[in-house]
Formats: sequence, structure tokens, C-alpha cells
Amino acid sequence: MTLLELESVTAFYGPVQVLDAVSLSVPEGGAVGILGANGAGKTTTLRAISGTVRAGGRIMFDGVDIRGKRPEQVAAMGVAHVPEGRGSFGALTVRENLRIGAYLRRDRKGVESDIELLLELFPNLRDRYKAHASSMSGGEQQMLAVARAFMAKPRLLLLDEASLGLAPSTATTVYDAIAKLRRESGIAMLVVEQNANLAFHIVDSATVLETGRNVLTGTSAELKGMDEVRRAYLGG
Amino acid sequence: MGQFIQLVIDGLSNGSIYAVLALAIVLVNQATGMVNFAQGGMAVLAAYLTWWMTEHGLPLLLAILLSVLVSFVVGGLLERFVIRRFERGDPDTAVVVTIGLLTLITGICGWLWSYNNKQFPSLFSLHTVNIFGAAVSFRSIGTFLVIVAIMLALQALFLGTRFGLALRAVAINPDSAALSGLPVGRLLMAGWGLAAALGAVAGALVAPQLTLTPGMMDEALVYALAAVILGGLSSPIGVVLAAWMIGVLENLAAVYVDFIGHDLSVAVPFFLIFVVLIVRPQGLFGRKAVVRV
Amino acid sequence: MPLASNFFSRPWVRWAAIAIVVVAVLAVPLGFSEYTNQNLARIGVFAVAVLGLNVVMGYTGQVSLGQIFFVGVGAYVTAYGATHGWNIIVVLVASTIVPGVIGLLVALAAARLGGLAIAMVTIALPIIGVPLAKRLSDYTGGSEGVSASFSNAPGWSGLYNDQWQLYMVIVVGGAVFLLTRNLVRGKYGRAFAIVKSNEAVAASMGISPYRYKVMAFTVASLIGGVSGFLYMAVIQFTSPETMTFSHSITLLASMVIGGSASIVGSLLGGAYYVLVPQWTNSINPNLTELLQGAILLLTLFLFPGGLVTLAREITQRVRRPNRHSSGPEQQHTSAAEAVSSHGEAEQDPTVTGISTERQHKS
Repeated sequence: MTLLELESVTAFYGPVQVLDAVSLSVPEGGAVGILGANGAGKTTTLRAISGTVRAGGRIMFDGVDIRGKRPEQVAAMGVAHVPEGRGSFGALTVRENLRIGAYLRRDRKGVESDIELLLELFPNLRDRYKAHASSMSGGEQQMLAVARAFMAKPRLLLLDEASLGLAPSTATTVYDAIAKLRRESGIAMLVVEQNANLAFHIVDSATVLETGRNVLTGTSAELKGMDEVRRAYLGG
Repeated sequence: MGQFIQLVIDGLSNGSIYAVLALAIVLVNQATGMVNFAQGGMAVLAAYLTWWMTEHGLPLLLAILLSVLVSFVVGGLLERFVIRRFERGDPDTAVVVTIGLLTLITGICGWLWSYNNKQFPSLFSLHTVNIFGAAVSFRSIGTFLVIVAIMLALQALFLGTRFGLALRAVAINPDSAALSGLPVGRLLMAGWGLAAALGAVAGALVAPQLTLTPGMMDEALVYALAAVILGGLSSPIGVVLAAWMIGVLENLAAVYVDFIGHDLSVAVPFFLIFVVLIVRPQGLFGRKAVVRV
Repeated sequence: MPLASNFFSRPWVRWAAIAIVVVAVLAVPLGFSEYTNQNLARIGVFAVAVLGLNVVMGYTGQVSLGQIFFVGVGAYVTAYGATHGWNIIVVLVASTIVPGVIGLLVALAAARLGGLAIAMVTIALPIIGVPLAKRLSDYTGGSEGVSASFSNAPGWSGLYNDQWQLYMVIVVGGAVFLLTRNLVRGKYGRAFAIVKSNEAVAASMGISPYRYKVMAFTVASLIGGVSGFLYMAVIQFTSPETMTFSHSITLLASMVIGGSASIVGSLLGGAYYVLVPQWTNSINPNLTELLQGAILLLTLFLFPGGLVTLAREITQRVRRPNRHSSGPEQQHTSAAEAVSSHGEAEQDPTVTGISTERQHKS
């Protein structure tokens, strides 16, 4: 069952066209990667889905056309977007950040047990539970951002450049945790990453974008095998 | 000794006036990230509305409640249609917008009701009670208690409730808040609406003492801003304590420090701000903003 | 009309145009009535005041609600000097230096504090200034104020008083405008702009925000002092009423409406300060405040850069009717822009729209 379907999506920043007929689909419970260099339009694709940026074409989530919906409405449908740069609430504590993530939920007990779960998965967050988000390191903030998104119990997680600004070992830790979350929750994911190696940790298939267009699509195995991908995105 | 107590009591009474405005300013700041210079003006407009209703026969309490409701709505509408487009931009432009709003609102009051003083009925009686040799009016006590109640309510709202947390989140990072499903627009309007409602209460409390004129809250606004800086933008308790401190110290300085006297006592809060900020830039009770680069 | 823009980019044409403008400006006082000259002189006085405010607020981005205080101090020093028979040059220098020193001291202390705190400190100036002026009545004449008339036309000039005063304003004010224009167009101006847009970036570039804020504020107070000198020359009376907080707000509004970070905008701001209250008072004094508030808000909505941006748009459309103005992203090109309005400083194109995140002030 297809959870998310993008068909010929276009997007503009002012007069500049950033997306030019981008298409992809994410099956229920599946994980798809969006790869490509800087400026290829990866982040904009996620923004088009979460409603942060206006787009043309078709964006179907769970059979519903979500184009033109405001971010709050898209979130309410079960899409959690972890933006580039983490988007933490710096002046709020870890605890408060997590609670904001769970804003739309009404099940108190469920929220409490999910917080426990996430603190188990990300022990650093437990140590800094009452600290302000802005006082944490990049890696910790990334974990917080992912945790916050999971608190919403989404059906689809949009992950934008989770490795940005992180030391390689930290980035790997973060991705390992995300992989574990995926295994345990079965959430569908759309992962934007410049570092294809990390993305392949999690995703089953991927599409490569270049100047706003799909240039390659395939399963992880297929892509890892292709010379172009290896050279451009996997370091040869 | 009696004079000292009297000065302190009067100072607390004045300070309460600044405190209630300061609370409204903190509320707007916590909810929308802006400092609203028009807060006092909005309170005055609400007070005029209340006065106008009492002039047409409505009982005072009902008039106050009605103007609190109207203020809530007007505050929300102001945010949506006047302030919204400046919230994301340069904070200094936002300040100028609120200054413009202040001028406009004061002007509306002046045009509709002229610049002459009007007598505003008092919610509490003016009978006095003797406390440690000082004469304290019921009105002062009543104002004091109302403010303490509001302060505690705001503190509880921000720290304890989902709604308060949502208000703060929207001010800190509206984009992320939207991505978590928070109804950003409605929360922003609610923040301004609440602050305006608070201002309406403030106006009704102080108008009897200051007499109603369009510029009634101008001086109080300056003191309220001083209290906000001293107390820290994020702390309702902090700004109330700061406001009381300003009121009391100002009174004491006027009498006990010869060279200041009554006319220059206005210098006291500014001097305080200076001293405190040099030592503790985040204010007495504010939280230090640590930003990891 | 490409032919026209080529014509204007030739150097001799530019110089000829400037010369014509200068001659025209100098002829003005001789041609107009006394009433007009007085109004023009007042506009000049407050244009200088707004210019000062622009230096610290428009160009460097620090909210200052105290500019009128420096005008008042300059006026008082001028009055004192004039009534004690000082040489007029000494008076001018003193009325500039004294507010400048005060401004420097205030800035040294305040510039370290955050944005709201700076605004509060500048608010303090007129609020404390008024009772202080009343208190120091030996120097200031207390609440009644003080008059001084030192700007009457000398016999040898053959001019009327209003004409002489207008010349004073034109010469002194013009000099200030020119000096300031050079300041903001040069390396200091660029530093101001960087500090305004992002202090962290400025610091990382080796530009100390503190140092430049202090500089901007001091320059603003110096200019305010000159405005005070001209104020006494034209109005010949000052009192604590000159530097009230409400005038401070009107000055701020004038800057915003005329055009922030703009030399020409400061002139427009001066015109606003003098003419609009006259106009609104003539309609209905009770309506004055309302109209001023409304105008300020409308300007912020429609022309956030001030009326000067409206003027720029019109002149651009006239010169190049086919060209669409694409808003703040528009790259300003070539000599045609340089000639565009004599002496206007352009807003640094890198400053507009740089950061999309809200800057958090502590």
C-alpha cells in the first residue's frame, strides 16, 4: 500500500525553480532515501510534503491530496518533519521539547511511556532532561529533534540531513538509533541525505536528485552497485 | 518609622500598577516574541470603554468584564491584522510598529473622548486600614491581591499547562511548532488577546487613582518596561517583584535622598536597570540564554 | 530611455547638474516669503536631527528614543553661550561637543547591553532630561526656558532675519549632511551595516559591534547637538518642552516615514516633523495623534523603507519605463544609479532580506 506518492512535483522560490517534476513513492512501513548534492532540491521536496513550501503537481498522502494544506494540518494527518538544522525549541527544556512533539496526542499514558522509550534509546537526553535544548551539542539536538518527531506517533517521518554538522561517529550513532526505531515501530520514512552511506543504513530504496529532477531511482542494492552513485556519493 | 512604612506601602501600591502592565508585556513576549510598547495604550482604551459603559448605566463589575472580553477579541484581531506581518522580521521594526500602534490608540481615545481628565469609578472602596502606623486603602490592598493572583496564574499557565507551553513554543520557533501540529496563528492571536484582557483589568484598577486620560499609562509603561528588563522577560514573578522594588525604591529615594527629590525620582528605575544589567545581563530572575554556536 | 541614462552618466553633466542644484538652493531664501523661509529653516533643523537618529538607528540598527535629548542639550548650550556673549563659532563647537561627550559616555556604558536595554537607556534620556532641565534653572532658565537671539542678519548682508537664518541652516546643515554622507558611504558605513544585520557575523569579521555602536551613537549625539544649535538659531527659544518623550517619538516616526538609512529620507523626515503636525492641527487638534499614528502604521505597512523608497521607485520607472522593479533583491547597477538622486545613500543591498530567522535579542 502506498503511503506517500509524489507525482511531477514542482516548486519555486520566488522566480527560481527548485523542483522540476520530482516523483517518488513511499510504501506503508517502507523507507526511501532522497540523495543528491547540495542544492539539488532534496530539502525542498520534504518542505513541499510538509506544507512549508507551496508546490505544484500531485502530493498524495494516504490517498488524500495534501497540496496546499498548512503544516499544522499535514502534521495532524500523521506526517512528522524533522527539519534541516534540527528546529529545536532552544529556550525550552528537553522535557518540554518532547511534550511539544506530543502536542496532538490525547493519551497521557501513551505519551509517558513513549517518553520513557525514547530516553532509553537516547540516554544523553535522559541526562539532560531538564536542560535547555540550546545548551546541547549538535548531536544531542539531532537526537532530540528525532525524538520529538517520534513523540507524535507519526505514520511518516521526514528526515532532513540528519548528519549535517555532526562528527562521523555521532552521525552513525544517530542513524543507528533511527534504524532501531524503525525496526521497532514500523514507521515509514523519507530520508534526505548527502551522505549516501548513512542513508543506506536505513532505506530500502532511493532516488537521486539533480537540479530538481530525478536522475536515478532504484533499490539500495541496485544503487550501491552503480558506478555513478559510487563515485559521486559514496566516495568512489 | 511611620513615614517609612507609609512610603513602602505607597511604593508597593504604585509598583502594583507597573506590575500589571509588566505582566501583560511578559505575556505578549512569551507568546509572540515581541515587546509591545502599545500595551499601556490598549489598557487605556479598555478603561475608556469601561467608563463609557458605566456612563450608560452598566454596573462597574459588568462593564469591566465586558471590556475584558472585548479586549481579548480586539487583541487577537490586532495580532492577526496589524502585527502578524512584522513578527518574523527585524525586532526593531516590530518595536516601531508597536510605538505607532500606541500613538494611534492614544489618538483614538483622545478623539473619541477628548483629552480632558475623566473620573473613573473605583472597584474597591477608599476606606483605609491602619497597618503598622500607615494608612492603607482597601483599593491598594485589592489591587495588590489581584496582581498577586494574576501573577501566580500566569506563572502556572506558562510552566504547568499544555496551552502555556504551546504559547511559548510558538514564540520560540513558529516553524517547528507548526510542524508539530500546533495551530500557530490561533495561538498567536490568543497570546495577544490574553495580554489585552489583562491590560483591561489593569486599566480598571488604576484609572480611579490616576484619573482617566489618553496618556494615563504612558508613565507607567516606562516603569513597566524597566520592571520587565530588571525582572527578566521570561518570568512573571520576577517582573512583579521588580515592579514592586521600583515603586518602593523610587518613593524612598524621593524622600530620603535629598538631591533626587520627587521630580528626579523617575531616574531611580533607570539607574537600577543599569546597575543590575551590568552585573546580570539577563535580569534578576531571567534565564541566561546560552547559545551553542 | 537609454539615451537619457547615458547622458546623465557623463561626469561633466553630473557636475553641471550639482552646480545648478546648489545655485538653486542658495537662491531659495531670496525668493520665498518670510513664512516659507521659516518653515524651510525648521525643516532643515529637524532634518539634521533625523539624520543623527538615522546614523544610529537607520544605519546601525540600534533603537534610540533619546535623540531629541541631544537636540535639547545642544539648544541649551547654544542659549547659554549666546547669552554670555561667546563667539558664534565657539558656540557652535560647544553645542556640538557637549552633547557628543554625553552621548559617548552613555554609549560606552549602554552599548554592551541587549537591544531592549539600549532602548530603555535612551528612553531615560528625555524622561530624566526634562525634570533635570527644570532643576538646573541657573543654566537653563528652569521651566520657563530661555531665549537667545544671536542669529539676526548683520547689517552688511542686506538680508532679512529669516533669510539669514535659512542660510545658516543651509550652510551648517548642508555641511553636516555632506560629512555624514561621506561617513555612511565609506568604510564606517559598511561596518555599521554589518553590525546592523548580524552582530555575530560582524564580530567574526573582526568588526567589533561594541566599538561601532558607540561610534554611531556618539556621531548621532554630535549631530543632535548641531541640530540644537540650529534650533536656537531659528526658533530662538528653548525650554524643557523641547525634549519631551513625545517629541522623541515624533522624531522616530519622522525617521521611519521619511526613510530609514537614507540621506534624502532624513530630509523628508524633517519635512514630516514640521509640516504634518501643522497640517493635522489645522484639521482638528484632537485628531492629531490619531492621524500621526495612522500615518506611521500605514508607512510601515506600505513602504517599510520610508517615503524615500516611493520616490526611488518613481524615479526608476521614469528613467527606465520597461524595467520591472523586483523588490529588495534588485541589484543596483552602474553609474545611472549613482547619479539617480544627488547625494542619496543607498541601502546596502546585502542587508535587506539576509536572515530569514528571527534574531533573538536577550
